[in-house]
Amino acid sequence: MDAPAIEARGLFKSFGATPVLRGIDLAIAPGCALMIIGRNGAGKSTLLRLLAGLGAPNDGEARLFGAPSRRLEAAARRRLGMLTHQSYLYPNLTARENLEFYCAVYRVADSAGEIGRWLERVGLARFAAERVRAFSRGMEQRLALARALIHRPDALLMDEPFAALDPDGAELAATLIREALARGCAVALTAHRAFDLDAVRCAARELVRGRLLGAPADARAADRADYFPAHPGAGAR
Amino acid sequence: MRARPIAPIIFLRILAPERADPPMAGFAAVLRKDLTLELRGGESTLALVALSILILIVMVFALDPAGGAADAPIAAGALWVAMIFAGMAGAARTVLAERDNGCIRALYLSPLDRGALFLAKLAAASIFMIVAEAAVVLMLVLFFNLDFDLRLARMLPALALGLIGFAALATLLAAISGRVHAGDLLMPLLAVPMYVPALIAGVKASAAALGGAPWSAMGQWLRIMIAFDVLFVAAGFILFEHLLDED
Repeated sequence: MDAPAIEARGLFKSFGATPVLRGIDLAIAPGCALMIIGRNGAGKSTLLRLLAGLGAPNDGEARLFGAPSRRLEAAARRRLGMLTHQSYLYPNLTARENLEFYCAVYRVADSAGEIGRWLERVGLARFAAERVRAFSRGMEQRLALARALIHRPDALLMDEPFAALDPDGAELAATLIREALARGCAVALTAHRAFDLDAVRCAARELVRGRLLGAPADARAADRADYFPAHPGAGAR
Repeated sequence: MRARPIAPIIFLRILAPERADPPMAGFAAVLRKDLTLELRGGESTLALVALSILILIVMVFALDPAGGAADAPIAAGALWVAMIFAGMAGAARTVLAERDNGCIRALYLSPLDRGALFLAKLAAASIFMIVAEAAVVLMLVLFFNLDFDLRLARMLPALALGLIGFAALATLLAAISGRVHAGDLLMPLLAVPMYVPALIAGVKASAAALGGAPWSAMGQWLRIMIAFDVLFVAAGFILFEHLLDED
């Protein structure tokens, strides 16, 4: 088995006296995906933030590419892509300018060509010169997908990637995730509902009261049917 | 959370900053983006210019200067008070705006060199303050009946050092304010007391320049300002990484 690209070991996090995560263990190898399913407030976003190194756990450790997430070298940070509820886009820049900025930051080769291709891919080529502030939430999410993927990350952390997307957009997001998996990217994503699983075809575990239930930590088995609950939480207990 | 030893990190940061990329590449990208946003919104510069001029007008009415070289200390004081209080509103906007729209996290996750990021924010804040200072100096000349002569030009080193130091301090405090509860209140509470040494030196140097004193009379004050600038630029360059960190 390949060394996990995304890993959590005994991750514990509380806000004040309220525990949010209670000893999370998971490991996602390159080319594999794990969907973390949970209700609002289950701690999904907190878990992804800790995996990315955005915040310190009270106990345990989050690791990316074998190194502690909070002490990643620049070269390792370049290999990470993240999609959150915040799009990380600048409202007063155009779609193209936003991607140009992130291409410059990530030193993307042939950035002009990549930007053109990605704008086309996410269906925003016609809006390349429009400022993001004029975008609908769904358009912003499409551009955020391009932003998170344009540097071809080796690990992807995606917080509800299908949120705000219409059916076409959700299908596009699922296709982009499958393509990332096919080229060896490790993906951790969150969702409220298990039926998003059909689109991505990945392993799933349910986050309940700060604990990950269900399948074992090894999330390699993207093709194993027993990882696919028929409805939220069904396969996790 | 396990405490990280700061001293070795600082030492390593100076000796071997992250060199996977040319740091200036990230610097240029962030500065270009901030200037583009400012040209479109103009929030920082407009706030700086408007507030500076407003404060200067209040000072002029309060002090009722007669005009000419005799009022040099008053003019210098008014100039620096206007610059500092307006600077608090505008100089830190580039960092605070990143926090408001959440993009600070994207920058934190990116391979950008954190020192280069600090320098880019410092450069952007300095440019906004230069524009504001230019407007304030023009107003100062009008309100205090000063002449456009060499004395104004001799004030420039003090102004340049002063704005770099203040922009560095404001950028640093803006990063700190995002980590603490009611951080917005922290800026005015900390900025002015911390800036006092440079503020006094700046007023003295500017008064000496406007009063026609020789360069030697400004020298000691300029040296204090250089020391202040070196201290806060270095502190920001080294510590910015840890201030962006979230708990």
